[in-house]
Amino acid sequence: MSRKIILWGSVAVLCIYIGIALAAPLIAPLGPTAITGKPLQPPDNRHIFGTNNIGQDIFAQLVYGSRITLLFGFFSALFSVLISTGIGIVIGYYGGLVDEIVCRAIDIFMPIPMFPLLIVLTTFFSPGVIEVSLLMGILGSVYGIRIIRTQVLSLARTNFVEGARAIGASDFQIMYRHILPNVMPIVMVKFVSASQHLLVMGVGLSFIGLWDTSTIDWGTMIQNAYSQGGIALGLWWWILPPGIAVIGISLALAMIGYSFEEKFNPRVEVNRI
Amino acid sequence: MGLIRISGLRVAFSTCSEEIRAVDAVDLDIRSGDSLSLIGESGCGKTVMGMAIMGLLPKNAMISGSIRYGDQEILSAPDRTMQQIRGKEIAMISQNSANALDPVMTIGDQIAEPLLIHRLLPTTEARSETLRLLSALGFDEPETAAGRYPHEFSGGMRERILIALALICNPRLIIADEPTAGLDAQVKSQILRLIKKQIASNRTLFLITHDMGTASFLSTRIAVMYAGELVEAGPTKEVLAMPRHPYTQGLLASLPSAGLHPIPGMSPAPAHLPKGCRFCARCPSATDRCSTLHPPLKETSNTRQVRCFLYD
Repeated sequence: MSRKIILWGSVAVLCIYIGIALAAPLIAPLGPTAITGKPLQPPDNRHIFGTNNIGQDIFAQLVYGSRITLLFGFFSALFSVLISTGIGIVIGYYGGLVDEIVCRAIDIFMPIPMFPLLIVLTTFFSPGVIEVSLLMGILGSVYGIRIIRTQVLSLARTNFVEGARAIGASDFQIMYRHILPNVMPIVMVKFVSASQHLLVMGVGLSFIGLWDTSTIDWGTMIQNAYSQGGIALGLWWWILPPGIAVIGISLALAMIGYSFEEKFNPRVEVNRI
Repeated sequence: MGLIRISGLRVAFSTCSEEIRAVDAVDLDIRSGDSLSLIGESGCGKTVMGMAIMGLLPKNAMISGSIRYGDQEILSAPDRTMQQIRGKEIAMISQNSANALDPVMTIGDQIAEPLLIHRLLPTTEARSETLRLLSALGFDEPETAAGRYPHEFSGGMRERILIALALICNPRLIIADEPTAGLDAQVKSQILRLIKKQIASNRTLFLITHDMGTASFLSTRIAVMYAGELVEAGPTKEVLAMPRHPYTQGLLASLPSAGLHPIPGMSPAPAHLPKGCRFCARCPSATDRCSTLHPPLKETSNTRQVRCFLYD
């Protein structure tokens, strides 16, 4: 299969997800919390994905749940990319002591696994969705800082940066007008891949109940089904829809990320697929 | 009148074990309206001189002496002051290389950038000024050219863009560091004619080159640099007609038109400069005195200076 088909297919899938999240009130007018039927109904004409243990429509929950899950992935990736781009450009451009300190701090942070660290931090702060996404953005930016810094290190020594200095540009103008546009392709790739793995991690976090469990997203839906015995009783329509939804978005984002990386990073082998 | 007065300029770089004296006690005036060429072989410190005037020496450089621009000392000026001067008062045509221009910015935007940085013109007028300059520099369709990216241009066209970038703010002094490096002979002569027409005829030019032909075509005065110090200076015509320093004589004899006679030996390592004359080891007319005593730069006439014991 050609790369183009995979890329555009993935973009289409992503657009469908975003469209569903935006149009949630139109698609499921009764809302995710309304009790619309008998408990634990298998799929039928009225409830295409059946109902859960208190009679809420699983399709409506899935549609509304996409809002939190997608927003979470988007915001944590955004925070992560903003932080890593900002810090990476500044330390790569100036170098020196601050660069050294940040790099050593990253060396210390890198081997600490992110998921357990997040569990520890969230139990201390008992935060909401936005706070957790900010926290994940900060933790997820660690790798990005390194990648951006390395690029900036070589860019800051190119002739056109020297030339920009020779026309009287200040450090800020050089970083903003010349270095940022030159690292933008990498930032885009980082944004897509970060939103993929942070989104999946967010579903995991909400599955183990690290933020307000009354919000409805795909993680809490799976958690509900799991804790109410959905798996033991074989109630597949309760578990599968949010699970497949996560797999779908994650695959789509991963494929977009790979295509971007192949496009922007000449060192990546093109013949992967 | 001296637009730039360099006096006693020393620039050294220290590596872990030794000190490299790139520029050593250089005095040089660039007069308003002059075209001055600084000639020397690779590594003699000529690029460092240009960087020193621009205030763009690397942070590890150890600098002493003075560079005055008008009545302002610019060698020790804070970066903020230099940002006001760079591009607007003193501009630079950098060496042409593949990454001399920002690859992700259209050339129209890049040429207009100095105007916007120095707040000389609003955006729309900066754009029309850019187009005017592009057509003056030989771009047939300035509108289309301004929307293109650097990689879409040939080496000669990129050099024109670099010249535009230096000219756009109408600076008083232009420093050109090897402006024709890497261009073939045909394009090189076009570019030199362009520089002569646009710069050398009505502005102050400080040309840094290793090429006697370029220097004689563009400049009214020549300063020859060897191993970090000036060895000869004077009006171009006089120096070319009657070179005094053996090094200048050697340079002229090494030109293809003079029969390609190379100067034997190598220039001394800047970390281990000889005690006496720095050219002593390669000099055909060296005497015992040359290897022990360091000759001073002496005036031999009103206009000419030379650093050699032959003219005592």
